[in-house]
Amino acid sequence: MLHKGTAKKVTIFVNEDTQHHFSSLCDSLLIFLLHKGVSGATATRAMAGFGVHQVMHTTKIEVLTEHLPIRIEFIESAEKVDELMATLYDMVTDGVIEVQDTQVIKVANKERLSPPKGPHMETRGTARLMRIYMGESDKWQGEYLYEAVIKRLRLMDIAGATVYRGILGYGVKGHTHKSGHLPFSHDLPVMISVVDSDEKLAKAVSEIEPMMQDGMIVFSDVDVIRLVHSRPAEEASHANG
Amino acid sequence: MRTVKKAQLLRLHFGESDRYKGKPLYEAIVNRCKELKIAGATVFRGLEGYGETAEIHRHHLVRKDQPIVVTIVDTPENLRRLIPEVEDMMDTGLIATSDVEYMRIENPPAAGT
Repeated sequence: MLHKGTAKKVTIFVNEDTQHHFSSLCDSLLIFLLHKGVSGATATRAMAGFGVHQVMHTTKIEVLTEHLPIRIEFIESAEKVDELMATLYDMVTDGVIEVQDTQVIKVANKERLSPPKGPHMETRGTARLMRIYMGESDKWQGEYLYEAVIKRLRLMDIAGATVYRGILGYGVKGHTHKSGHLPFSHDLPVMISVVDSDEKLAKAVSEIEPMMQDGMIVFSDVDVIRLVHSRPAEEASHANG
Repeated sequence: MRTVKKAQLLRLHFGESDRYKGKPLYEAIVNRCKELKIAGATVFRGLEGYGETAEIHRHHLVRKDQPIVVTIVDTPENLRRLIPEVEDMMDTGLIATSDVEYMRIENPPAAGT
């Protein structure tokens, strides 16, 4: 399974008409990768190109259209790539295999978003609570600061964050934050509360602090009782009955 | 990295319909904080809740009585000045303090924003 962080990206260049055990090499490679449980692989047909044979493969000359280059790419963990490489090396009788280090930023999987089943787990422990105070109308590079901060926290895999809007307040700036007479002219106080470990919050602060022009960040120690994987209400009632 | 200073966080819980001398209590408290030169105060409105009197505070069609939380961060000395004043103003409610660490952020406006 592919995870966020460092990984290897493998690129294989082959010819469209190269054969492997009576089928096309490209198909054989993809089937092999699928059977080995690789997270994903993509084959792309090129417009034109040339290889070690120094022959230009292009769609412009009819005789050469059957020799178009194909590029197969996949990203996997270093161990998985190591495991597959011996077979891939053997299979590619005509072409190039290239491996490079890469950084996986996001692995989104829609199926995993469905409510998890099973009894709930309780995790207890100590953590830090961070409260970030700012104004609702504060901006960062054209977008609302509180939105930008939430996006940044999400990118950093912070456990969770909540934005609260105050109804009245004042801070060191001295001016009172109050909702305007028009329904859309707001400059109310906004507080974002975040709970995570001390180290992760310290890292988050170093990223968020330069985004803020004016405000305050408050820390306190908290005890965390985290309920995860709790069942949907109807399933729980089925289990009881 | 900025210096992190120690301070106290004060939280006042009461209802939105609570009043002090004809004004909403939360407004009166924020004004009193300003008079006492307290660093800052923020008022939050909750969606629903209950307190001492076990009466549910929620949004009614005609009567607004949602829970209100006022949070204030300042030095323990300043809060000691504030708490007796607020105690007199509040009819029913809850006052809670906790130790916190805070950092003030004052960055010059970035060019191009």
